[in-house]
Amino acid sequence: MIIEGGIVYDPRNRVLGEEMDISIEDGRVVEESRDGDKIDARGMLVMPGGLDAHAHIAGAKVNTGRIMRPEDGRRGAEARTKLLRPQSGYTVPNCYAIGYRYARLGYTTAFEAATPILEARHTHEELEEIPIVDKGALTLFGNNWEVLECVRDGDLGKLAAFVAWGLRASRGYGVKVVNPGGGEAWGFGGNVKGIDDPVPNFGVTPREIIRGLMRANEALGLPHSVHLHTNNLGKPGNYETTLETLRAVEDIAASRDRQVLHVTHMQFSAYGGTGWKDFESKAPEIAGYFNRHQQFTMDMGQLIFGSATTMTADAPLEYGNARLLKAKWSNHDIELEESSGVVPLVYGRKMPINAIQWAIGLELALLTEDPWQVIMTTDHPNGGPFVNYPEVIALLMSRAKREEELASLHELASSRSSLPSIEREMGWDDIAIVTRAGPARILGLPEKGHLGFGADGDVSIYDIDPGKVDPSKDHERVKAALSRAKYTIKGGEVVVRDGEIVAVPQGRTYWVDASVPEDEAAKVRADLVDKFTKYYSVQLSNYMVQDAYVTRPRVVRAGVV
Amino acid sequence: MREIRIKPRRRFLVPVEAEGISPDVLAPLTLEEIERLEVWEGNRRSRLSDLFAVEGDDGPGKAADAYLLLRGDFSRVKRIGEKMTCGMIEVDGDLGMHAGNGMAGGEISIRGGAGDWLGREMRGGLINVSGDAGDYVGAGYRGESCGMRGGEIRIEGDAGDYLGEHLCGGKITVLGDAGDFPGIANRGGVIIIGGDAHLPGAEMASGTITVFGRARVLPSYQYQDTVDIDGRSLKKFLGDLVDGGKGELYVASLEA
Repeated sequence: MIIEGGIVYDPRNRVLGEEMDISIEDGRVVEESRDGDKIDARGMLVMPGGLDAHAHIAGAKVNTGRIMRPEDGRRGAEARTKLLRPQSGYTVPNCYAIGYRYARLGYTTAFEAATPILEARHTHEELEEIPIVDKGALTLFGNNWEVLECVRDGDLGKLAAFVAWGLRASRGYGVKVVNPGGGEAWGFGGNVKGIDDPVPNFGVTPREIIRGLMRANEALGLPHSVHLHTNNLGKPGNYETTLETLRAVEDIAASRDRQVLHVTHMQFSAYGGTGWKDFESKAPEIAGYFNRHQQFTMDMGQLIFGSATTMTADAPLEYGNARLLKAKWSNHDIELEESSGVVPLVYGRKMPINAIQWAIGLELALLTEDPWQVIMTTDHPNGGPFVNYPEVIALLMSRAKREEELASLHELASSRSSLPSIEREMGWDDIAIVTRAGPARILGLPEKGHLGFGADGDVSIYDIDPGKVDPSKDHERVKAALSRAKYTIKGGEVVVRDGEIVAVPQGRTYWVDASVPEDEAAKVRADLVDKFTKYYSVQLSNYMVQDAYVTRPRVVRAGVV
Repeated sequence: MREIRIKPRRRFLVPVEAEGISPDVLAPLTLEEIERLEVWEGNRRSRLSDLFAVEGDDGPGKAADAYLLLRGDFSRVKRIGEKMTCGMIEVDGDLGMHAGNGMAGGEISIRGGAGDWLGREMRGGLINVSGDAGDYVGAGYRGESCGMRGGEIRIEGDAGDYLGEHLCGGKITVLGDAGDFPGIANRGGVIIIGGDAHLPGAEMASGTITVFGRARVLPSYQYQDTVDIDGRSLKKFLGDLVDGGKGELYVASLEA
């Protein structure tokens, strides 16, 4: 296949708006294709397929959201067609709708952001049902008893061996840490108040957990860094906790050419104020820190007005949400590993807190000078559903659009944030980084997010001419074009044409197989036998995700031996 | 006024989904176009005329002038009058589930009984039932925080369980008895029950429920005093206190 004459943005290969042809054969970008298929992309924007590095799209809590929200299910209901299966949902779409809707946006890869090992089988059952896109899942480690004990005992070798085992047991891709220590404390109705607040019964602090897991992550040389949901997330004044956390790990070096820590949905961790009354943005402080510390990355967690379903392993946070909003609430204890919660809510334009939160996400992305440090996300469906990505991109590219929106919001969005004074408008090169090249680099996927020879043949083509349309002024055109890809090509196959799905191939699932020294692995095995005998509700032999659950794996090797 | 008469051609064994039978949908169509409308019988797609005989004045016309007369057994025909905004539907017989879903105006008058979910998420207009109605009259869709928000439903017979569940506005009057949990999780609106009811107003945040017969009152309701309504002496309660509710509940006779 040859994609002819498109205006190509491929920042990793320093192609910034050049008219050029892209050839794909056997699912990969090649120098020359022989099969004769042609796609006329003249006057159109061509980018690598989009990559969502943080979304909640599969597993127990997503399904809990669906069960709790039949009223959400009816909002996206579409009947099956000859090609497509039935769809439902807006904030918590069914598996099919997730795949179709990503593909229509030009996205070809999506990672589930939080999976407890105990529930990983469920996650993979749903990932298997998500069509078209490649996917993977990050595994939760931040409140796992074995992790807390290894950290307490200072046994880094065993901790690394357990992380490797946990990734294999969950067929997971990376180390996710959510409110470290807080999830365990929640088992006793408590939480941790900061990074030096000890976890009940273990005596370790969040600082020690984060440092321990980051050092284990780097010892194993995993493709992705630790992926952190900070302590005190969602609370006024939490930017201090966030900065304190980052300062606490400044001395740790990355083992690969990538960040050493990814802080996720930063919007929820960049708050000032002593309470909700004087709540304000501290995005400039956070972005300023990131500008001085290139070893850290973040994703936005942009808020979208309207319906959202918050779901997180941060169970005490969800308890607070449910109480504050008198909303539906699901609370879940995941044995020795995590706790979690789900709360549906509505973000309102005239709600002062929501309006400020909306501004914070955009401030973070625009004030962080290096786009390679930022991923565009909405923390789907916590900040809002991923189908709104074109809206976020239009906001990043147009100050006029931001001003129009600000005029419709509660006035505190303007007075308690710096957004009105931000002049920066992202260009297509920046957008290609924050939605493609950046997340690929941050996740450690060398074959994704670019169009160099050997890259996966994942391409999105939009009916908008970067040479003719000024995104700053014509932001509605940008949003419309990005909402319905002219073509989405996945692994060399056209899956979307004119905004409609035309083929439904099955994507692959990434997971990381990390090797560790046998003596460390043996120590972990002994511990696990003890824990499963005493505490778990399942047998160790029934715990691992079997290969049958991951039918099209893409295994990435890592490890210390 | 344009009269359109619709009659089932046979007895239905599986439910028929006929949301097209509403003044707003039928008024702008000619009789021939009405006959070609799509309806589903179970999982089978049909034309309206395959299942129903249609006659009356030819159109098109205005929805407000439309008068739909349904004769025969519609007890397995669902969603009649869904989202209607004006006009009139008269039913000479029983009507199936989900009649008047999301109705915003106009009138449905049923000389017979109504199925479950009558007037679900209704916003305006009037529904009259001369017989009994099923469960979930004027209720919300599963998971939504608001059911009926406006309009009026009058039932001359009895109503089933969960009458006015999540009611947020409007008025429901039942001359007979109501089943379990009338007005559950209410956030407004008025419910009047002529006969008996069981455990009214559970989780009510606000709104008014009046029971002129006997009712078992939840222990989470606080007795206020005795008041006169329509010349009758009723006991007034406030609740539901488990939810910090400020709803008003009036009951003539307490069931122990």
